[in-house]
Amino acid sequence: MALNLDRRHFLGLAGAGAGAAAISACGGPSTGGSAAATGAADIDFSGVKPAASIDFWSNHPGKSQDVEKAIIEKFHAKFPDIKVNLVTAGANYEEIAQKFQTSQAAKSGLPGLVVLSDVWWFRYYSNGNIIALDSLIKQLDIKVDDFQKSLVADYKYEDKQWALPYGRSTPLFYYNKDHFKAAGLPDRAPKTWQEFGEWAPKLQASSGAQYAYIYPALAGYAGWTLQNNLWGWGGSWSNEWTFNCDSEESVAALQWAQDSIFKDKWAGVSSKEAADDFAAGITSSTISSTGSLLGVLKSAKFNVGVGYLPGGPKSESPVCPTGGAGLGIPSGVSKEVQLAAATFLKFMTEPENTAQFSAATGYMPTRTSADMTAVLAATPQIKTAMDQLAVTRVQDNARVFLPGADQEMAKAAAAILTQQGDVKATMTSLKATLEGIYTKDVKPKLKS
Amino acid sequence: MSLLSPVSPDPAANAGPAADAFDADPGIPPQRHRPFSRANLVQTLAGGYLPLIVATLVVFLPLLWMVLSSFKQPGEIITMDLKILPESLNFENYNIAMTTVPFAQFFLNSLIVTGVGATIKVLLAILTAYALVFVRFPYKNVIFVLILVALMVPPQVSILPNYILIAGMGGKNTLWGIILPGLGTAFGTFLLRQHFMTLPGSILESAEIDGAGHWRRLWRIVVPVSVPSIATVALVVVVSEWNDYIWPLIITDRPETMTLPVGLTLLQNSEGNGSGWGILMAGAVLVIVPILLVFAALQRYIVAGLTQGSVTG
Amino acid sequence: MTRQLTDRPRAAVEPKPAPTPRARWSARTRRDFFVFLALALPNLLLIGVFTYLPLFNNIYYSTLDWTLGSASATVVGFDNYVTFFTSSDATKVLGTTAVFTLITVGGSMVLGLLVALALNSKIRGTTFARSAVFAPYVLSGVGVGLVWLFIFDPGYGVLAWLLRGIGQQSPQWINDPQLSLVMVIIVYVWKNLGYCAVVYLAGLQSLPQDVMEAASLDGANGFRRFVSMALPLLSPTTFFLLITTMLSSLQAFDLIRIMTPLGNGTSTLIYEAYLQAFGAFNRAGYSAAISVVLFAILLIITVLQLRFVERKVHYS
Repeated sequence: MALNLDRRHFLGLAGAGAGAAAISACGGPSTGGSAAATGAADIDFSGVKPAASIDFWSNHPGKSQDVEKAIIEKFHAKFPDIKVNLVTAGANYEEIAQKFQTSQAAKSGLPGLVVLSDVWWFRYYSNGNIIALDSLIKQLDIKVDDFQKSLVADYKYEDKQWALPYGRSTPLFYYNKDHFKAAGLPDRAPKTWQEFGEWAPKLQASSGAQYAYIYPALAGYAGWTLQNNLWGWGGSWSNEWTFNCDSEESVAALQWAQDSIFKDKWAGVSSKEAADDFAAGITSSTISSTGSLLGVLKSAKFNVGVGYLPGGPKSESPVCPTGGAGLGIPSGVSKEVQLAAATFLKFMTEPENTAQFSAATGYMPTRTSADMTAVLAATPQIKTAMDQLAVTRVQDNARVFLPGADQEMAKAAAAILTQQGDVKATMTSLKATLEGIYTKDVKPKLKS
Repeated sequence: MSLLSPVSPDPAANAGPAADAFDADPGIPPQRHRPFSRANLVQTLAGGYLPLIVATLVVFLPLLWMVLSSFKQPGEIITMDLKILPESLNFENYNIAMTTVPFAQFFLNSLIVTGVGATIKVLLAILTAYALVFVRFPYKNVIFVLILVALMVPPQVSILPNYILIAGMGGKNTLWGIILPGLGTAFGTFLLRQHFMTLPGSILESAEIDGAGHWRRLWRIVVPVSVPSIATVALVVVVSEWNDYIWPLIITDRPETMTLPVGLTLLQNSEGNGSGWGILMAGAVLVIVPILLVFAALQRYIVAGLTQGSVTG
Repeated sequence: MTRQLTDRPRAAVEPKPAPTPRARWSARTRRDFFVFLALALPNLLLIGVFTYLPLFNNIYYSTLDWTLGSASATVVGFDNYVTFFTSSDATKVLGTTAVFTLITVGGSMVLGLLVALALNSKIRGTTFARSAVFAPYVLSGVGVGLVWLFIFDPGYGVLAWLLRGIGQQSPQWINDPQLSLVMVIIVYVWKNLGYCAVVYLAGLQSLPQDVMEAASLDGANGFRRFVSMALPLLSPTTFFLLITTMLSSLQAFDLIRIMTPLGNGTSTLIYEAYLQAFGAFNRAGYSAAISVVLFAILLIITVLQLRFVERKVHYS
């Protein structure tokens, strides 16, 4: 923080003097200074008094606005000196990021605590927009060991903790039990996509639904959920920093997906929210986030089954990515605000509250000690999501570390799954795009 | 929305006298002197009404669909068999829309932003246009060209610099922060200047001989004879302030200071899934209908004014 | 409306000098100087600070390699422009912009003219119809975008339902980038054709009576006569519309933002500039460069318009 204040100070001075810099003095970037500080320096919070009020920016993942409000109220009861304002800062992770970055540019209006998705936190880190939480974790005694290990590890870089998990999810296979029964299929998710390929025509013939399976809406989901298909076939978006999305395996996986739509004609692509299409009965099955679970159970007028994601010809497991959002603390706010935010962050992620959040949304409890018995009694399906965590695989670098890559993947998926574009050609061009982003935006910032 | 881009710096383009807007009075059939010819009769019967009805339906059906859907429950929307009419006149969606997000507050904010913003803008436009036309000043043409060029700067392009500026002044999440950057009005100035150019110089000269100063000449002579043009500018400004989207979206993130279109996006954020369509349509009704009513009441000015000067290119 | 199109008297073709008589005393000139400043300065200052300053800031930003959200940037000169024009982005974005602009401009003008012809008749109800077709033009782009998004929704939209009725599946309006563009174009034309119709109507009503009679659309040769006789006389109106609708099409934003937030297939220059800065990449400098390109295009169109008007003066 001290670093930041100094820089701002410097900017003001430079602006007042130099004529050329005057244009940028009202808040533009500095071009004279050294590279951006990363906020990596440990901040000493001893003797700091938490601020009286902080903003909490959320997009309410999994329709969590009500439960967020409820937890904040509990927080107010326990810490009457800190007021938390819940701000709806966007409809999705992209919009919240957009708002956050704009505020960064203006160096004002920043929240104390912000929801950051799997594809955004690294960008914030590399811009120096968020602080390392380690000293706060120590001072406030946040029990990091009690968190789900893999979920915490997602936000580790350079041996520091840059965020803590919040609305964390995996994709789940949702199926219409009634349709499966009518088609004479076993009451479970398919083990592999090949198995489902055999089931699909039967399902379609007996269910009366438009599709046997619907691919999640491409925007916001394709990059995430198609990893399941890619991994099952032995492919991926990337292997470390090698972009192999045009490999034989990757192409085969997406070719199969394309065929399911255009050749075998039992699959479709959702336009907005596959979970809604599923709940409406348009399709007999789909893949959607665990965060959609409670919503689906509420609106579906049939028996809902959930299961692990299907594997592919090369790999049956692990073929499930984790995803969802964490919470981070901006670097551009005062120590007092950061401390207050961390106090709230600690409260928000306590076992009891993560269980409450999970019960309301379907997101996974982030703490191993969270008491889920009551939650599971009410919604046993959450158990599947929790168990699947054991067989998840770390997401491909290309998706989570390259800014904008998720959207480029969605565009490529649109070309393949809705325009019936040539798979190999599309993937080759995606590879070039990803490499371009890597060289321009990421490689220079990586610590080798 | 850029309502009207420059018409022409050519004063002839705007040769219509102040009574222009009245000429478009809907009560008077446009072609008074046209004989009721046989050909015309045939045209009326064969093709007269059909295209009109089609055109009107194309406009109204989507809006009607919006209103109908705003009464439908999720079960009536998330379904494969579409029902055209809602099962009942259920205001539940309006209720949800107005409790999920504070629509009354949005409405009030929109009213304030539009009222204050539009009033100041119109005033500034009148003053500047008067100065440009009737007050001697060097470089008036340069200033006018600069105003013309300002019309070319897409407002979206100024977002980031303006955000940095306004946020730095503490204008984030304030109504003045929403209003201030849009106050300078190139469009209104331009349109009124074009109109003032057409006023006969004689009436002002006689006033000047009577010893009337600029201030009196402006309010006693120029403004009264220009009411229709000013009304037009006012309505265009009201409409664009009311509908303005991207700037209020960027500069506010608290419901207390959001305007209606931004509030509608906030509602979309909260109800952005299939079952939320009914609620979103209710929200859309709340945003669209007020301006539709204003338009219906004053359409003859707005329609007349927007086409001002257009026919001569 | 201004009826005098071709039959306008000779007057008022040259810009009239301000009707203030020649200065008599320099004191008056000086007083006028201050009066002018008092009247015009607030507005001019506001335009300067919130339109021109951002414009220059943008030009400055366009020379930076600056990630939005980062506190520092590197000066890179014209690199951003070079990157834009040498990448595949340029062809894609300029192509999308061209398609969007040409079809929305052409579509609203042709349909607008047809509606204007229908409105230009003596039958009752034209006043109502005229207001009706104009109404969408004044509505909020956000509201209109949402309403149409619901209509186009491939799952639950009324369009999908109609198509299912004839045994068809709904096109993938949202996922398919080309269809997204088609969708946005349709809605944009819907929203703006009323403007063209009303302007054309004013033009039609200013035509000499005999021309309209001779060229009325009835009869076998009506259309041909209309094209050969009335249309040329409408060319000033057509030109005016061409310019104004082109400028607003190039600046179309709200509908695209609401209907296709990620801009796949609908990234026109203005939207691409917005996305590059505020979307996933946060390339503020690059975005500023695209903005400057857009501004240059808008400026060129305006200059062309001014030149045309100058020439027109000579034969009007």
